[in-house]
Amino acid sequence: MGDEPIIELRGVGAHRGGFQILREVSFGLAEGATTVFMGGAGSGKSSLLKAAAGIVVPDEGAVLFRGKDLAKMSRAEELEFHRRSGFVFQDAALWANQSLFDNLALPLRLHEHGLSAAEVARAVARVAELVGYSDELKARPSELSTGERRLIGLARALVLDPELLLMDEPAAYLDETSAERVFEIIASLGARRRSVAIVSGSSDIAHRFADSLGVLKAGRLLAFGSYAEAVRWDDPAIRVVTGRLRARKAPVSGDAALSAWADALTGSLGDGAPSAAAPAPARPPDAEARERGKAAAPPEPTDSGGSDQGGRAADTDEEGR
Amino acid sequence: MTLGLWLERIGRTLRERLYGLFYGLGYFFNVLKESILFFKRRQVGFRVLVMQILFTGYEALRISAVLALAIGVAINLIGSSLLAGFGQGKLMYTLLIIVITRELGPLLTAFIVIARSGTAIATELGGMVVAHEIEAYVAVGVNPITYLAAPRVLGVVISMMVLTVYFNVFGLFGSFAVMQLLKPVAFQEYMKNLVEVLTVGDLLLGLVKSLVFGVIISVVSTYRGFAVERSTTEVPVAGIRAVGTSFILCIVADAALTAVLYLG
Repeated sequence: MGDEPIIELRGVGAHRGGFQILREVSFGLAEGATTVFMGGAGSGKSSLLKAAAGIVVPDEGAVLFRGKDLAKMSRAEELEFHRRSGFVFQDAALWANQSLFDNLALPLRLHEHGLSAAEVARAVARVAELVGYSDELKARPSELSTGERRLIGLARALVLDPELLLMDEPAAYLDETSAERVFEIIASLGARRRSVAIVSGSSDIAHRFADSLGVLKAGRLLAFGSYAEAVRWDDPAIRVVTGRLRARKAPVSGDAALSAWADALTGSLGDGAPSAAAPAPARPPDAEARERGKAAAPPEPTDSGGSDQGGRAADTDEEGR
Repeated sequence: MTLGLWLERIGRTLRERLYGLFYGLGYFFNVLKESILFFKRRQVGFRVLVMQILFTGYEALRISAVLALAIGVAINLIGSSLLAGFGQGKLMYTLLIIVITRELGPLLTAFIVIARSGTAIATELGGMVVAHEIEAYVAVGVNPITYLAAPRVLGVVISMMVLTVYFNVFGLFGSFAVMQLLKPVAFQEYMKNLVEVLTVGDLLLGLVKSLVFGVIISVVSTYRGFAVERSTTEVPVAGIRAVGTSFILCIVADAALTAVLYLG
């Protein structure tokens, strides 16, 4: 696969409800890296993540998964993309008329036809355990607290052990213990070289996990680069968002137990699932992460600010959709 | 405001309307295609289909029966006094067939379905949009048209056709019941007279109408539900719009089908 980004946005623009929610957004997510997008409320962070997940269809530009335009995918390719990617919604977005078990089992039933009912049940139980949910899975989402719903939402995104995980404010509404659990999972995904994109207003999350960082304002990607570069960005419009970022002293590390669990889960999904049988490589040290980040990194933002400084040239796909 | 601004505004409105029209037509054909291919798809919502038939068809049987009986009674009371004055009492059976089987059966059943299921579908889907449940389906690879719209369309169409037959039976039975009070007739004779004037065309027209109305109600209601964008206040509006549009389109379609039959 080389340096090809796992997901790439090229000149993406989108409207909703008469407003432009994304403007000429271009960047690429490096394989196996964790990228954090920051920005104020209404800056287009969630829309960007949804465009990358194929949920929001752009009016301009293109979204590419391993070089293939989502808009030009066949139904089978589209299904494969959704099998290999997971999305964690800010408000959980669980299906209210289905039990928690069915919420977790639906992706398995949809994508893993070879699994028996018992295997589905086992995979569901494992993923619920992973996120730290131990209560009855027969309940409906409305019977859960917001935090519990978010954990189940995370479990649903993880149930197929995706290569690409897109997370919208993963720690919002969670108590400290649950948030720490989520952070361990993110670290574990990073250790297993899963690609993760996180949207968050928290500089703490960026500090802990970001190999690369993007800053959004009014639907425009103001800056995109490695974490080390982000710490040095001095454009005032960007510093408003990244001002609390600080240089790292030590690399973050994954949780071995979680990695072992995830390998077991992957094993239960059979041959069709992305391979995770290989030993989990250690989280690359900061220097290595920086190297990876640079593969998709843009030029350093200048003081002019405001313009699109995405990592890749605004290679707009004029065909639109 | 200058002429240029007026022209720009008119142009923009026209463009938006045209876009809306083509978007709606695209949605209609997409839903129709997915409904036809429903049983061939792997990721189909059989449970959604069964639940839709239960809600739209089974749970509407009682109100449909009451309405049909009342209509049968009314037609008989009005017709018997009116036609007898012209010495055309025998035309009562023709009147019953025309009014109940061809016209009121499908149309009143459509009204019942619009009021119950049209609003329910639009508000349910609208609520799912606001709660991002539709986006969650897309995120895991489920096509919302295949999984949510197609089974609802099929459920409503099947229910509409069954309910129309049911309405006809109860309408004609209500008429028979009131006849027993005014001018008693043996059941066999009543049925014989009805069958004499009943044609295959009458039955087919009623069924074709119920099919068309079912498609209109379900497609309009799912469309209105999916059209909700972000706010919970849009959800009841979607229900109201689903009812209004369905009523108008059903009445227009009824007039068109009747015109085709009588003028064609």
